[in-house]
Amino acid sequence: MRKRTWLSVLLASVLALCLLAGCAGTSNEQGTDKNAATEKTSIKIGGSSTMAPIIAKCADNFTEEFKTWNKVDPSLPEEPIEIFVSTGGSGFGLKSAVDGTFDFGMATKGLKDEEKAQFTDGTITQLGSDVLDIGVNAANPVARVKPNLTTEELVAIFSGQIKTWKELDPALPDRSIVVAVRDLGGGASEVFDKAVMKGTPISSEALQIPSMGALAGKIMDNADTIGYVSSGLVNQNPDKIIPLSVDGVVPTLENINSGAYKIGRPLLMLSKDKPDAKEQKFLDYLQSDKGLKVVEDMGYIPVSQ
Amino acid sequence: MQKVNPRLEIREKVINIIFISVALLSSLLLLAMLLFILRESWPIWSQVGVMDFLSGTTWRPVSTPPQFGIAPMLLSTMWVAGGALLIAAPLGFGCAIFLAEFAPALVAAVLRPVLHMLTGIPSVVYGFLGAAVLIKFFEIRFDLASGESLFAASLVLAIMILPFITANSEVALRSVGPEYRDAAMSLGVSRQYLALRILVPLARKGMLGSLVLAFGRAMGETMAVLMVAGNTLMLPFSWFNKGEPLPALIALELGSSIPGTIHYQALFAAGLVLILMVIAVNLGVNLLLRRLRSGVKPF
Repeated sequence: MRKRTWLSVLLASVLALCLLAGCAGTSNEQGTDKNAATEKTSIKIGGSSTMAPIIAKCADNFTEEFKTWNKVDPSLPEEPIEIFVSTGGSGFGLKSAVDGTFDFGMATKGLKDEEKAQFTDGTITQLGSDVLDIGVNAANPVARVKPNLTTEELVAIFSGQIKTWKELDPALPDRSIVVAVRDLGGGASEVFDKAVMKGTPISSEALQIPSMGALAGKIMDNADTIGYVSSGLVNQNPDKIIPLSVDGVVPTLENINSGAYKIGRPLLMLSKDKPDAKEQKFLDYLQSDKGLKVVEDMGYIPVSQ
Repeated sequence: MQKVNPRLEIREKVINIIFISVALLSSLLLLAMLLFILRESWPIWSQVGVMDFLSGTTWRPVSTPPQFGIAPMLLSTMWVAGGALLIAAPLGFGCAIFLAEFAPALVAAVLRPVLHMLTGIPSVVYGFLGAAVLIKFFEIRFDLASGESLFAASLVLAIMILPFITANSEVALRSVGPEYRDAAMSLGVSRQYLALRILVPLARKGMLGSLVLAFGRAMGETMAVLMVAGNTLMLPFSWFNKGEPLPALIALELGSSIPGTIHYQALFAAGLVLILMVIAVNLGVNLLLRRLRSGVKPF
């Protein structure tokens, strides 16, 4: 009986101390942060759901190739390489890079000047470009009947003025157009707004899909869906998603590089402070042929070296 | 009279203080969270106004000028949670009555753990199943352009809250005093009569409490709803419209909103509304349960 009482008292006080420690956490942060910087053993990266698979693949290859840091560079200590990649959207990547949650933030959108200003001490590295294709299901006759849409038609579809495929072209079936978009305010929707909608609000009937992969999945599953999809995902599913031309411009590599195809965004790695030796090595690796090969393999357009 | 050992007395006091401080700290945690969310969302309440925020029907957080109205989300939340309750309540009550009164011991021994296990399945799995199976089914079966709807979300949620309703209602049924059962038995009424006319009315309040708890849970559920409700910004007039419940709105947009912007604050404001709704529901449960305790005995 006595023993039990003491045990519960002990547990209760541990709990109380934990809670108190939580309160004190903020004032101590400065000190622990510095400690973490000198003894940091892992690189934490987070942000854009489009970039996460690319960076995760690169991190895998990098870890497998070198295993420990001293094999990357003899001056580095013999510690296992640990790189963590998590997703959460471009805005999250930007935010976490600024507040230090992550060593690198991933963002797939053109940065505004005030956003760039937050990284003057750090780095902004472009690895490549992501192009948003206007994608439809392979079973949708629009790909044969009307493989080219004008910007005006796109605006009409995405703002909800045109509601059925038949209204777009009489040869098409009389079925509702299912408009699939990413969440408003996200990187992709910002790009689409800037290049196509120019401020016209997206239809309130549009399905907002939480990730680019799910958006591609929706187009593959549903024959009436139209949406903007990363070219990477279109290239990974060539027979299931058909990209449409916009204003007569086919989203090919040439047209994208020449700037004729307008709906696109950069793939960016952001860091608030100057990267330390390990981080710089990984950043160099991403920009090397091996890293850019992954960017290309995933269907995106790597930066030209 | 017992002689009190002074050392024991001091020990008791110390123990008391520790327990009280732990209890206080955990309630402080809730208070701190509410205050934090209120602080983060304050610009919305002062600039947009409480009524305009709650009753506005247009949500355009990144347009210029931005518009913040969460009426479509509030309505969607109500449709989804209310609808889930509508589906799950008859099933849950039926299950509970069967388990408490009619099920053979062997059947109950299998059914009960299976039902309880349902609570342990992560909600993202339910959502995934809903998105992969249910939505496809609606699209093909009813020839819809797209199968997402508040109804689909309600169906998924109904499966998730069913075990809560069943377990809590069964407890309520079992906690009816044995004297009622004995009296009924000695009068020779049938088991059906005993269960439906005597036990259920007596356990009514406990069963109602289980419903309200389930409703609170259904309102706050995120993942499953995010994947099947369709997330459109329309004001949903029917159960079969698409919609975007509050948790889905927050989960969808918080990642891409930039801290400090009015968009970010609006999402916190939406979170505050959701928390207050759930707290109100829980307070309601407490009031009900208090009445239950004082209400049954002197009957």
